[in-house]
Amino acid sequence: MRMPHPSQSSELVLRLPMWRSRVVLFLMFAAFCSLIVRAFWIQGLGNDFYAEKGNKVKRVLELNAIRGKIFDRNGAVLATSLEAKTIIAYPDVVPDDLEKSKVVAFAKLLEMSEADLRKKLGESRSQLYLRRQIEPDVAQRIKALEIPGIAITSEYRRYYPEGEATAHVVGFTNVEDVGQEGMELSNNSLLTGKSGQRNVVIDRLGRVVDDLGGYIPSRNGEDLTLSIDSKIQSIAYEEIKKAVETHRAKAGGAVVLDAITGEVLALANWPSYDPNHRSHLSGEQLRNRVLTDTFEPGSTMKPITIALALEKGIVTPSTMMPIGHLQIGKKVITDTHPYSVLSVAQIIQKSSNIGTSRIALQMEPEDMWGMFQAVGFGQAPKLGFPGAVAGLVKPYDKWGKLDQASMSYGYSISTSLFQIAKAYTIFVRDGELATISMKKVDKATPGSQVISPKVAAQVRAMMETVTQEGGTAVKAQVEGYRVGGKTGTAHKSNGKKGYSSNRYEGFFVGIAPISAPRIVVAVVIDEPTAGGHYGGEVAAPVFSAVTKATLKTLNIAPDANATQLVQNNGVQQVNFQR
Amino acid sequence: MNRAVVVLILALMGCSFLLVNSQQRTRQLFIEKNRLEIQQRKLNQEWNRLEYEQRELSRSSRIIDIAKRQLHMNDAKQDKTIYLKEKE
Repeated sequence: MRMPHPSQSSELVLRLPMWRSRVVLFLMFAAFCSLIVRAFWIQGLGNDFYAEKGNKVKRVLELNAIRGKIFDRNGAVLATSLEAKTIIAYPDVVPDDLEKSKVVAFAKLLEMSEADLRKKLGESRSQLYLRRQIEPDVAQRIKALEIPGIAITSEYRRYYPEGEATAHVVGFTNVEDVGQEGMELSNNSLLTGKSGQRNVVIDRLGRVVDDLGGYIPSRNGEDLTLSIDSKIQSIAYEEIKKAVETHRAKAGGAVVLDAITGEVLALANWPSYDPNHRSHLSGEQLRNRVLTDTFEPGSTMKPITIALALEKGIVTPSTMMPIGHLQIGKKVITDTHPYSVLSVAQIIQKSSNIGTSRIALQMEPEDMWGMFQAVGFGQAPKLGFPGAVAGLVKPYDKWGKLDQASMSYGYSISTSLFQIAKAYTIFVRDGELATISMKKVDKATPGSQVISPKVAAQVRAMMETVTQEGGTAVKAQVEGYRVGGKTGTAHKSNGKKGYSSNRYEGFFVGIAPISAPRIVVAVVIDEPTAGGHYGGEVAAPVFSAVTKATLKTLNIAPDANATQLVQNNGVQQVNFQR
Repeated sequence: MNRAVVVLILALMGCSFLLVNSQQRTRQLFIEKNRLEIQQRKLNQEWNRLEYEQRELSRSSRIIDIAKRQLHMNDAKQDKTIYLKEKE
């Protein structure tokens, strides 16, 4: 064959056969056609198949919100949510011929019997909770058993590190994380967060690789800081518990107020409960007696009656009152000891019912009623606390002489211990009634003026004599501090049958330190049966211990018997003697 | 003309590679972000757990109990206490 000469190449191009270019053109056309067909196939006919494939990599992730923590005034945690695991079973998936050893081990970890577990796994339900809120390490061991059809999910569980001591204040939540009692209940909406969700794409290894939009962020619950000081709370609780046991009483309660800021520093009750193990709780344990139980406050009412009499100018602290015998209608008013004459101050010191009645009978019922209203009796304290009661004060137009007299020393009227403590803030704040808060305040809050500063100081002085030699509550003394207060011993009401002769309530409500008053401490011991029943015997020692701890915790310097002040390098050294 | 086409083709190819590369990086960073978020949640939980544990160990009643029973400590009596007052 003759090779073409280079000069003939243009002829060569022209001579290429046409069919080759047509083939190329056709192939390209066919390729485009197949692409169109394929696209139509995917978009149209095969849609369901691919949508299903796509859904396998799509996930909706629940974003759990965490419930807010509850702190005490110093930032110590009182309630916190920790991760806990929930064991879910899919009975259809769990094989029927599961090895016995695995079932036994599983049942043990779930703390249920093997028979119960087998019964649950045999149920014809698609899904059931085997156990909620278990410790993560137990869940880990269950996971290690590798039983098909058993899944583990995360939840949050509430923990209360102070346990019984703060149970009545903090309260608790149920398994759904909803507040049931105490501050957990009253601040539920604040503490509860809002859970969110995310639509995501996951890869073969289960990692999230893309967001698909529709993201709702979760919002954690807000934290709550209470006015409670967990140290004072713990001591108040221990002292109440000890006193109830010593005096074989039915119950007891104590409340400590910082009257200047109006904060509740401690609120303790016995019997109590452990909010961490709340499956066997009874109403008796749950009752926050300090706030929800009313009683006749007995002699703790006397300083309030006397304060009104001083305010109205009916008597002065040194006015001498004849005591003797007092009978109103058929009722004879009695004292524990007979007295012929007492000064107004001594009426408080000796706690004379007759003396207080004689003073009260010189007052207008309307004025007394007004005073009770002004210090908060008959009205539920606005605390934002569930179950706080109002107590009962009869309208003054229904009072008879006997009502008026018995109310003056704390019968025929009912209040809670909390209300009494609040009323006593007038003696701390120079006549002003404090606004009380369960949340941290930390600065002096405005109150309402009930009596003049002069009268408040006079009553304070009388209350101090109660704790001194010759008073009814020598046991209330606190080493190094001047304290004052008033005892109360009330016969418990038997309903319509009158008063019980052998069931009592012993109270002590006091303030400290007298030279620069700051706190109110109120104590009740319900139905003491051993070691006395008078407030001065059963409640005053609790007051003493709690007050001492409170003053120390608040860094308040002793104010009793300062003998010497030594100037030394910018600090004064103060020595005290008993 | 020819040179311009070649440059554009090269640029197009370069951009395609960069696109693929940046998409890969986005994915990796996204995974990393998620991993860190999960870690943050875990560390937060750990912090809550430790805070709880510390609180349980520093409970007043526990400390008083240990001080009195194990260490035989007593409250300081008034006559053994010196109070220092800040000069006003």
